[in-house]
Amino acid sequence: MLSVAAISRIAVRTAPRAAPLRLFLRCQSSSAVQNHLNKDELPFKFSAAGPKLVKYTKEHEWLAMHADGTTFLGITDYAAAALGDATYIELPEEGTAVEASDSIGSVESVKSASEVYVPVAGEIIEGNTELEASPQLINSDPMGKGWIAKLKIDEKANQAALDELFSLEQYEEFLKSDE
Amino acid sequence: MLFLRHNLIATTYPLRSLTRRLSSKVPFDINDTDDKYKELNTMYSDMFTPSNPSHQPHTSEPAKKARTLSEEIAELNNEIDSVYHVNKPGISAEELESHVKSPGKFILKSISNNPYYNLALENYLFRNTPLKATGNGEPFTSQRLLFYINRPCAVIGKNQTVWQEVYLHELEKRGYDLLRRLSGGGTVIHDLGNVNYSYITSRNQFDSSFFNKLIIRWLLNYDPSLPIELNKRGDILFDQKKCSGSAYKIASGKAYHHGTMLINSDLNKFHGLLKPHTKEGVHWETPSVGSVRSDISTIGLDSADDFIDICVDGFQTEFGDKTGERVPVYLCDEVTSVNEDIRTTMETLQSDAWKYRSGPKFNVKFDESGAVIHVEKGIITYSNMQDLVGMPFKSIWQDAIVRQSIYTGKF
Repeated sequence: MLSVAAISRIAVRTAPRAAPLRLFLRCQSSSAVQNHLNKDELPFKFSAAGPKLVKYTKEHEWLAMHADGTTFLGITDYAAAALGDATYIELPEEGTAVEASDSIGSVESVKSASEVYVPVAGEIIEGNTELEASPQLINSDPMGKGWIAKLKIDEKANQAALDELFSLEQYEEFLKSDE
Repeated sequence: MLFLRHNLIATTYPLRSLTRRLSSKVPFDINDTDDKYKELNTMYSDMFTPSNPSHQPHTSEPAKKARTLSEEIAELNNEIDSVYHVNKPGISAEELESHVKSPGKFILKSISNNPYYNLALENYLFRNTPLKATGNGEPFTSQRLLFYINRPCAVIGKNQTVWQEVYLHELEKRGYDLLRRLSGGGTVIHDLGNVNYSYITSRNQFDSSFFNKLIIRWLLNYDPSLPIELNKRGDILFDQKKCSGSAYKIASGKAYHHGTMLINSDLNKFHGLLKPHTKEGVHWETPSVGSVRSDISTIGLDSADDFIDICVDGFQTEFGDKTGERVPVYLCDEVTSVNEDIRTTMETLQSDAWKYRSGPKFNVKFDESGAVIHVEKGIITYSNMQDLVGMPFKSIWQDAIVRQSIYTGKF
């Protein structure tokens, strides 16, 4: 592509090099945020025993599955803090069958549309319509009142996908190490 | 020779750009035989554009001398070819796929003005940029930059309501397309005097103000007297008026920041296309994302190519690797640099389903007729004018009689 002349120009180039990029989101990950499910809200209290498992994704979603397969999904404290004030939440439609890694909605904040993925296969039972009138619940309580979707999943059929997800400790580790 | 060397990167309006570049960049006429002026001119160029290798004739002199006449001619031919796009259409579909899916930085310049192609190309580039170069733990190194210029069109944000934002009838009358983009934010008007840039990076490295800060730095390197600054929303102001709007998308561990830059648009032509915030007698209830209305200005550059060249040069300096390898620039056009993926996105962007039937639900009330209309996915789900229920909201504005019975004003 480059002519000989162009290459010779590169060789004599003395342009200053860029300073390394700094990660914007990581600085917010360690301090105040917890990424714990809020025990006072529906995603936790849906069944008396509480969720059978709580898992996390690389895309910064959390998933809380109850014994009957009812599963809540939302974005983590970390993600909510990084995105900033939510202005609109695009919710999934009730009755939609979803496959693992499908995008089921999005969070718009400060002119940015951020997609939300589901890491397992199942069916959407409902989207959290509270978020239509109060998108700010995503920021004030992302792991409680700000849940985005309620799904029904088959635990056995999703075992492999569930096993691949992070535990809280793994997720926190991922936040520290991920570049 | 001097001015030709600026144009290693192919330009869209070569002749105009060349003459303007010559007249705008050089403080006074260069007489190559006059050493005094040559030196002065070089000094100015070096001061204002420290990163541009083509402004350093002194340092490149030895290399130049070593070249044979045939190399000189070959170089000239290459440069003329690239200026006129002779033998240089966009890259092939195979090349596009290979570049996009392989790790590494590059710059794409679309030579198409079709907004559907350009937005689809952007989406293809974004979706297919590999996140990891070599397994986990490696920092993301595949930053990309795309430029495109769209023919006149209005572009609304992903989560906006068309009818709240634009006068559809007016757009149609004046030949503007309407598009709903895939990123967030508010409505903007594009035309041939506006350059769109799109910077793709990883979600982790994404910082909404990062790229506009770079643009401001590059522009000030080029001309320190430009009255440009960043406002609190991360937009670029020229003379305290908005000359650039930004929006972002985050998906699959990656993010893009795309923005507009008004170069030489005829801003008077934009009047009457966008709706004012509030309209008397029309009441909206919707979680839709609003648009922030701003006074706008063009930036003080002569051509779109000037802006693109400044950014290409800045990007190559900022992101060039240590071996001195230049970040490559590829051209794309909608005839050769296209594939099924891009075509499918184009079809989606063109569809009524995406333009008019996606986006938030809304309720609207018209004082004049007392009509109350609830709309979900573009379809009227409730109205006190019962005949309307089940109709697409769009269609009621296409029938003069129905329209008049609801609202007689401009809608």
